[in-house]
Amino acid sequence: MKASGALELGEAPKGSTPKSVANRGISILDFILRLIAIIGTLGSAIAMGTTDETLPFVTQFNRFRAKYDDLPMFTFFVVANSIVSAYLVLSLALSIFHILRSGAKGSRIILIFFDTAMLVLLTAGASAAAAIVYLAHKGNAKANWFAICQQFNSFCERISGALIGSFGGILVFVLLILLSAVALSRR
Amino acid sequence: MQNSESTTINVAETKKETKGKAPLLAAPMATSSAVVETKGGYKKGIAIFDFILRLCAIAATLAATVAMGTTEQTLPFFTQFFQFQASYDDFLTFQFFVIANAIVTGYLVLSIPFSIVCIVRPHATGPRLLLIIFDIVMVALATAAASSAAAIVYLAHNGNSSANWNAICQQFTDFCQSVSGAVVGSFVAVVIFVFLVVLSAFALRKN
Repeated sequence: MKASGALELGEAPKGSTPKSVANRGISILDFILRLIAIIGTLGSAIAMGTTDETLPFVTQFNRFRAKYDDLPMFTFFVVANSIVSAYLVLSLALSIFHILRSGAKGSRIILIFFDTAMLVLLTAGASAAAAIVYLAHKGNAKANWFAICQQFNSFCERISGALIGSFGGILVFVLLILLSAVALSRR
Repeated sequence: MQNSESTTINVAETKKETKGKAPLLAAPMATSSAVVETKGGYKKGIAIFDFILRLCAIAATLAATVAMGTTEQTLPFFTQFFQFQASYDDFLTFQFFVIANAIVTGYLVLSIPFSIVCIVRPHATGPRLLLIIFDIVMVALATAAASSAAAIVYLAHNGNSSANWNAICQQFTDFCQSVSGAVVGSFVAVVIFVFLVVLSAFALRKN
């Protein structure tokens, strides 16, 4: 009688409505995207952090050795990508919690806040490095800044490639925050 | 005996249920409408704060765009440089900064009506969801423009001995000052955008 009374009042059994199934799907997609972002940002940090090129001959430059920490923007890039990778690994736990319990609202808002902060950090690092990579490729005649890529070829290729993983990570973060917002509004 | 007891209880229950259905249904409705009214209050407050923050962000990005777009300095004397005129379009990064901040300002102005709709109807999730989607994209765009310009400004202030890049700020002081100010204004707008995203997410909760 109690069960029928409960059904009369219109209570549906938990966990089987299409909305909760969709929320669970969103949480699983969130988890997968986080894994992809970890690979992207970690790869970028390692690719930039292991750059080291020494030219075999003497050139017009005083230095004929290029490392990532010669430019503070690249150091910032490596640090930012490392912080974001570490954060993503830690947030995997919260993501798994959201898969198991799709109805948690407070933790999703905390996750959105930290995801936005990490998006800003990642974008700042990636675009500062991109500005310097552009300068390294093209130089600037007006400011008399020489394009160092013409000497340091493999260094240049490495730093340009490291940007790709980072920008992919930015795209994934945008999707992650969007997914969390949609999941919040669907409850 | 138990059966008869249960049947009498059943009859009593159904009577009570038919009598009490209206209050039973009315009670949750009354509490939910009361809950809706009190919780609608906080959503309306959030929407008003969101509107005010949007106005501040418009001011910040507009100031950054104008400050960067109108920089031009011509040195009155001959220096070791071939060029003694500096303008924002000498640097591709600064051109991207101006364009990106213009886009962000335009988006903010267009999003004011949606913000007003959210104030008037605090429980509509459609406009709020639309706002948060575009706010997230604009956060990324504004941060990209601000930090790439900050990288060039840092180089202009400090130079780089490893790459043999000179610090041009030592010659073009006014240019450097207005460009640095524009970057600062853009970062203020980024912080405001982060607040906007978190506020919209907080107001999106369905209670």
